[in-house]
Amino acid sequence: MDLPGPIHDFLLVFLGSGLILGGLGVVLRINPIYSAFSLGLVLVCISLFYILTNYHFVATAKLLIYVGAINVLILFVVMFMNSSEYYKDFNPWTIGNGLTSLVCTSILVSLISTILDTSWYGIIWTTRSNQIIEQDLIGNSQQIGIHLATDFFLPFEFISIILLVALIGAIDVTLQ
Amino acid sequence: MDLIKYFTFSMIISILGIRGILLNRRNIPIMSMPIESMLLAVNSNFLVFSVSLDDMMGQSFASLVPTVAAAESAIGLAIFVITFRVRGTIAVEFINSIQG
Repeated sequence: MDLPGPIHDFLLVFLGSGLILGGLGVVLRINPIYSAFSLGLVLVCISLFYILTNYHFVATAKLLIYVGAINVLILFVVMFMNSSEYYKDFNPWTIGNGLTSLVCTSILVSLISTILDTSWYGIIWTTRSNQIIEQDLIGNSQQIGIHLATDFFLPFEFISIILLVALIGAIDVTLQ
Repeated sequence: MDLIKYFTFSMIISILGIRGILLNRRNIPIMSMPIESMLLAVNSNFLVFSVSLDDMMGQSFASLVPTVAAAESAIGLAIFVITFRVRGTIAVEFINSIQG
């Protein structure tokens, strides 16, 4: 989207803070239903990120697949079980959990400092260009369609087989 | 600068997902939520680099990853339903008695 600079930055910070809050909510909430709704918030915020970067098809596809299918499935299963006896003993401040949090925070700090110290401009300008000539004139969905039909044809067929096998397997296992 | 901002957010979500798996070993559906979050963060990484390198390969690949995520979450939850029906409990410490 061609938004002016400050609006773009404001939306970035707003969606990013929603994303981080949702992520913390998935990990730290005790009630699993709140945790599943926080996962929904994370998925919606990431979809809105993709609208900011002009990838409209991927944003809509993520909303439909992740929020509409995966999150609903997780919510069904979380509501199906009687979880009131399973979260009395959740303590995020034991020694093992504190050590895990320390290790994960140190990994995060080292990764972010690596990201900030890498000179991305040198890497970006030495890539080969793999573009269709009229890429600005055709829409985003058409570009994905062209690539799925030519370069990604074999993974496309394999994914359809994976989905078929998963569907038949899940139904067959739970039907006995 | 946009690359760094988007990349940092997806890295934070990925690390939160790893931490969520290590903290939340209570029952299976709660453990599947940070796994989905990690897959989402990796997918977002693909798209961030596809935006900054102006390449369509990352975007096409990132359209195929959610389907794999949906398939594995469906299978995982089917296994959970079977475990609940057989064992009567869903605490993770009884998982090692799944056989055959």
